[in-house]
Amino acid sequence: MTRILLIDDEPDILRVLCRSLEADGYAVACARSGPEGIAAFEAQRADIVITDIKMPGMDGIEVLKHIKARDPDSEVVIITGHGDIDSAVEALQFGASDFINKPVRDEAMSIALKRAEDKIDIKRRLKEHTHDLEHKIESATRELRRRSNFLGRVIRSSNDGIVATDEHLGIVVFNPGAENIFGYPQEDVVHKLRLPELLPENMTASFLQAMTSAEDRKDWPWTETELVSRTGERIPVRFSGSILNERGRKLGVVAFIQDLREIKGLQLELVRSERLAAIGQTVAGLAHGIKNVLHGLKGGSYLVDVGIAKGDSQKLQKGWDMIKRSIDRTANLVMDLLSYSKEREPEYQECAPNEIAAEVCDLVRERAHQERAEIVREFDPAIGRVLMDPHTVHTALLNFVSNALDACLFDEGTGKSWQVRVRTCAEPGQTIRFDVSDNGAGMSDEVQRKLFSSFFSTKGHRGTGLGLLVTRKLVEEHGGRIEVASRLGEGTTFSMRLPYRTQARTNGLPRAG
Amino acid sequence: MGKRVLVVDDDPDVRLFNTTVLEENGYEPLEAENGEDGLQMIRAEQPDLVILDVLMPRQSGIRLYRKLKTHAELKNVKVLIVSGITQKAFLRSQQALTEFGGTPVPEPEFYLEKPVEADVLADHIKKAIG
Repeated sequence: MTRILLIDDEPDILRVLCRSLEADGYAVACARSGPEGIAAFEAQRADIVITDIKMPGMDGIEVLKHIKARDPDSEVVIITGHGDIDSAVEALQFGASDFINKPVRDEAMSIALKRAEDKIDIKRRLKEHTHDLEHKIESATRELRRRSNFLGRVIRSSNDGIVATDEHLGIVVFNPGAENIFGYPQEDVVHKLRLPELLPENMTASFLQAMTSAEDRKDWPWTETELVSRTGERIPVRFSGSILNERGRKLGVVAFIQDLREIKGLQLELVRSERLAAIGQTVAGLAHGIKNVLHGLKGGSYLVDVGIAKGDSQKLQKGWDMIKRSIDRTANLVMDLLSYSKEREPEYQECAPNEIAAEVCDLVRERAHQERAEIVREFDPAIGRVLMDPHTVHTALLNFVSNALDACLFDEGTGKSWQVRVRTCAEPGQTIRFDVSDNGAGMSDEVQRKLFSSFFSTKGHRGTGLGLLVTRKLVEEHGGRIEVASRLGEGTTFSMRLPYRTQARTNGLPRAG
Repeated sequence: MGKRVLVVDDDPDVRLFNTTVLEENGYEPLEAENGEDGLQMIRAEQPDLVILDVLMPRQSGIRLYRKLKTHAELKNVKVLIVSGITQKAFLRSQQALTEFGGTPVPEPEFYLEKPVEADVLADHIKKAIG
């Protein structure tokens, strides 16, 4: 309910106005002089003060000033004498919301009150709105600050070095990751250095070009490179970057830099420890291989001794042959070891894979016959002459086929007719697939797992334990791969996929043809 | 003629060495190049001692040894194993086969790891059958 304070020194007018306002539903307080009115206002604020202008002691203008000083939001309506325009203007100047002439007519009063009430309402709403707006701005600012802090923290906590620049490539962001890599503290860089002063030329050149030309380049894929830190250390890094755009305008660039020192170090260590493990296996495997050879050498020299002692030239001959075979086995072992340990680039030559497969089948025909196994050829006639390393194909196929024959030989199943199937097949992607399958002994999971470990052999004196290892190395150097499928008692399939080159793609290849 | 000893080994050099040692020490050598042939020879010839290799094609020494030691008539044939495989590995493989539901077999009385000196081999043969 709107509260009204009514001030007039004439008791009749005061009473009449009071009744009429109460009847209109206002809460009305009355005062008979300026000081009384102000005291009443102090005791209880009114929304609207209606005061007579001409009063003894303190006039309406004084009252108006007081009220406005106490509460600028209160509306004051002045009652002036008929025709007293000067007072009315003065009252308006001091902030009265309206004036009404005496004698006070009901309509004039209700219009003035309506205006005052509207003003109060507008002020209240304005206040609420302002308050609301301030609140909204405050919370938006808080959110903005929170997000900006969050982004700042994200950038700071990134392990990658992040360096961002303005449009002139002046550095504006330089996070701790970047400090670690470059060795400069942030304060020496931000707003002090430009990107070209920090990064090597090869890294900045394309940034510069992208910023200065109309080129529509947005980001750079990860590339590995090296940069030089403040201390002159050459640091291996992965590097990528983006142009920062806002509505088509280039704001600057951001560069992401990953420190590869640790990874490179770990890789080196891994290679080193793998090599150590390989050396350990090599020593153990070598000892085993040499034990076998020694057995032959000792046996041979025993026979030679017996032959000499008895003048038995046949024994002498047999002993000598045994020694020679042991020497051959030593030579094989050493050759395998050498080809395993030495890196070799494939020597691409024009060759016909089917012909090589046929050669291998011919080579083992005699042995297969002795071991009651049949060699079956299934060559893909679509395979013509290609560029491949024939040495790799030959060595790998011979190894697979020998293994397959051994698998038949070591098979304890009876009544089987053993078969070794050699299959060639042209595959998409300039690849030739070679399958060598047997229906021999097959392998347990454990044996399959150990297949490619050095010196693993299940064949006693027959294997150096290096065959598959050498084969795999050759195949991998040729960009190919080997797969094995095997079931114990059912057989094994070795699949080798080797990519080949074509004349057109290898223009100028020195060893071709 | 002396006692008869069967050499079962797929490596012809090993057979030649073993048979020569046997001959030099007054035994009569017999030869088989795999487990299958070896078992037939043992049945047919009833040798006094079998010198057995472990890793051989067509029935390994591991299996042949089991067959002998679980065979009613042949289980008393003396066996000397000469192998590149350690005795420990050989015992482990026998254990594994027993666990798969086989009859337990006794440990071999005589075991030599390659390479073997001629006099050590001769000593072991002598210990086994005199």
